[in-house]
Amino acid sequence: MPTIDCRNSSPLKEIVAVKSERSGGAGGSEGDSTFGKRRLTFDAAAGQDSPTSTPTKLKSLRGCRNSSPNSPLDGSKEDSGKRLPSLCRSPVKRLHDSVDRKQNWNPSDPGQMSAVKEALHVSTAPQTVVCREDEQKRILEFCKTCLEQEKAGSLYVCGCPGTGKSLSMEKVKQQVVDWARDEGLQPPNVITINCASLTNTTEIFSKIADKHQQKKKTSPLQHLRDIYSQKQQSSDSKMMVIIADELDYLITRDRAVLHDLFMLTTFQFSRCILIGIANAIDLADRFLPRLQSLNCKPLVVTFRAYSKDQILRILWERLMELPYIVFQSQALELCARKVAAASGDMRKALSVCRNAVEMLEAEMSKSSSSLSSSVGEATDQQTPPDLEVFKRQQNITVTFQVRIDHMAAALSKTFRSPVVDTIQSLPQHQQIILCSAAKFFRGKKKDTTIEELNKSYVGVCKSAQIPPVGILEFLSMCSVLSDQGLFKLVGQSRDDKLKSVTLKVDGSDITFALQGVRFFRNCLQ
Amino acid sequence: MGRDKEKEKQRQKRNPSEEVLNLLRSRLCNPNFIFRLFSDSPESNYSKLRFIISSSITEASNNSILLLGPRGSGKVAVLDLVLGDLLQEYPDAISVIKLNGLLHNDDISAFKEIARQLCVEHQLLFSKMASFDDNSQFMIAMLRECGLAHKTIAFVLDEFDLFAQGKQKLLYSLLDAMQSVTSQAVVIGVSCRMDADQLLEKRVRSRFSHRKLLFLPPSKEDIERLLDHLLALPLDSSLPHKYAAEFNGKLKATLADARFKQIIDTYLNSNFTVNHLMRFLFQAVSYMDLESGFLSLENFKTALSSIQRQPKMECIRDCSIAELYLLVCMRRLEVKEQNSYNFHSVMTEYKSIHDSFKTSDYYSRNVCLRAFEHLLQREIIRFTDTRGSSQSIDFRPVKLLISSAELHEGLKSYHSCPAMLLKLMDH
Repeated sequence: MPTIDCRNSSPLKEIVAVKSERSGGAGGSEGDSTFGKRRLTFDAAAGQDSPTSTPTKLKSLRGCRNSSPNSPLDGSKEDSGKRLPSLCRSPVKRLHDSVDRKQNWNPSDPGQMSAVKEALHVSTAPQTVVCREDEQKRILEFCKTCLEQEKAGSLYVCGCPGTGKSLSMEKVKQQVVDWARDEGLQPPNVITINCASLTNTTEIFSKIADKHQQKKKTSPLQHLRDIYSQKQQSSDSKMMVIIADELDYLITRDRAVLHDLFMLTTFQFSRCILIGIANAIDLADRFLPRLQSLNCKPLVVTFRAYSKDQILRILWERLMELPYIVFQSQALELCARKVAAASGDMRKALSVCRNAVEMLEAEMSKSSSSLSSSVGEATDQQTPPDLEVFKRQQNITVTFQVRIDHMAAALSKTFRSPVVDTIQSLPQHQQIILCSAAKFFRGKKKDTTIEELNKSYVGVCKSAQIPPVGILEFLSMCSVLSDQGLFKLVGQSRDDKLKSVTLKVDGSDITFALQGVRFFRNCLQ
Repeated sequence: MGRDKEKEKQRQKRNPSEEVLNLLRSRLCNPNFIFRLFSDSPESNYSKLRFIISSSITEASNNSILLLGPRGSGKVAVLDLVLGDLLQEYPDAISVIKLNGLLHNDDISAFKEIARQLCVEHQLLFSKMASFDDNSQFMIAMLRECGLAHKTIAFVLDEFDLFAQGKQKLLYSLLDAMQSVTSQAVVIGVSCRMDADQLLEKRVRSRFSHRKLLFLPPSKEDIERLLDHLLALPLDSSLPHKYAAEFNGKLKATLADARFKQIIDTYLNSNFTVNHLMRFLFQAVSYMDLESGFLSLENFKTALSSIQRQPKMECIRDCSIAELYLLVCMRRLEVKEQNSYNFHSVMTEYKSIHDSFKTSDYYSRNVCLRAFEHLLQREIIRFTDTRGSSQSIDFRPVKLLISSAELHEGLKSYHSCPAMLLKLMDH
């Protein structure tokens, strides 16, 4: 029984659950199996509708100029409401068919290569935002309620970076305006402010007041307060939706600005719907305690970090629009697992995929070795390859795809810190200094002076029968090491020897990096 | 005029070694020439960097990359080489904005500098009165315009780790602008701290594409290739052919000599960045004998010893015996845990040594006082109460400014050091 994500109860997952129950154990020995395996069993069980149309033609280089996470999406105006149900009916089936019909990818064709890279770029916003339907629905419902009742309200969206907050907000913005127009209500004014671009935290009020056609006499905040405390004369005044991105830039020491902003929604005749976006989950509790006493705490919508399945699904959605197979499914699964385990950040996953594509490109330009050697090459990966599926896929697809070894290399480049490499490539005396520092700081000591370190260094050199360098060179080597971020030299004493030294890398990192040399191994035991 | 030219030619014929000297020195000072050697291999940093920037030009995509490496390993040199080559290959398709973390640490001044450089590049008028808001709006508008015109803007951020202090607003705005499709930009950060990307805030780090290029010091084979490339004369230049061939032959013999390899190894043991090696080679080339016109092993040896000077030990070598006795006495006092001593206590110690060991060098108090004053003037010892007092020189506390290891080394290399002194140092 594959583990279903209870939190994300989108229609797709429900259908998946039903189907798996029917077909009984859809290859789910390892939790959620890959799309590849599931697709093969569903084909047997499903007696579905005819597949929907095949993916669209290739996009030109500047085709989706207007699409970005921060600009309105086109093509989703009319069928935004209708798209969701059709999505749940046949994405898996569509996936299977489109994969079957896809041709092989020719990486040496620059047009195809650039299309692939563009499909994987962070700035290309997809037509449909998948895996966030639940959160979008909640935000949309909230806005609808506020608009219908003509009441003010506040909402707080939080989540780690790269979880699709700004992207979803763009979509919801459009949906709200369309819905209001459909229902015959007055479509609201929408302003988006990125608080990181404000010079002064109080500028946010002037930006909001600008929309209200402020008279120049009072300060913006006062003006807004005045407007919202009186009943509006004209009956056709619009509601205002304020979306404040990166809200934590507004936090000052006395928290006045943030407070005033949220208090704007508490006035009797207030007409603004405030939506704040930030990373901290408990921003409302920590910085706005007074709101609770007034019983107007903002509603909190949390965008959780993406799980492995969600990442995999989003990647497949992006790649589905291309008419050829680019990645082997194991490679994508490896990427999704690793990124989900690390941070759940979608941008990282996309960047790793692009890196892997570039590695394939580099490999192709270097040599023209055949694929048969790739099976033997697959030795340094995180997950062992499934040899049967691998061979079967080899029979199906003949030419080049991004394989697991490319993906593993791209992942290690992204996730590995360069500390070990740097230490291994240091010159000999600097390595001896690091080794003596590691030995010195093994106990409870946290910092020491350069003079003490020099004594320890001379001792290590004597035991290796290498002549130690003089104090001047020792000082310059210590400053080079501190430049690189391995040491930290603190102290304003005039005499350089009395400056204090701390080690900034872990002792175990040093031990690991130097374990190839027998002398250091013995020394650091 | 003609006669001057003839004289010049004659002088060159007699002494091509001067021309060779000039040629070699100018090569060693030109980073383009040095790093051009490594640019042909596909695994090198040059080709990787070039691939990334040129793919941004040809595919109209955004990218960001960090160049990391110790100081003097050629990060900015390789970057300049790549940008120069790309400017030649695609003229008008790239414009470079350079910022430095030491100069433009503040967000306000950084945006001002960006706006100013953009204005200069595109021949617009720059107003010093523009506010921070205006400058950032201008930058975003220019990014959009350049994106429409298919022109890539390359932002080079030197001392990247200094930009990562504070609220990181500049980094956030730059990397955020790269998330939109309308812009076509590359952000290249150069830093000597290996953990520069750990210093970024999590929002900024999420937008950064995590590409890092490590500039590690060259391996032994690379160093040999580099030496050959830099020091070998071209055979088809204005120099006489026979001379150039002979020079190259002698050079090859020197480089293959085991002693030379040992010299290079000793030198590079402490620091083997390319910059460091260049300094050594420059010194060696400057010692070239102009009469014979060839580089020899002696040049390299002299260069090594002149670079690895120990000034304090040379000071010791120039001291007189009386001064050495005083220094040894002070050292012995320090060993006896008597950390503050003055001339009077030093003389007491000297006397006690003389009484116990019966040395032949016994100097009178006046002579010792004179020696003491000499040591003070040479800054081998120093008064600890720097405010100056009215006490006489006998009783003011002093301290040693050289360490015991240096003193020991200096005594060992002294030309006629009495054996007594060494014995005294060890007890």
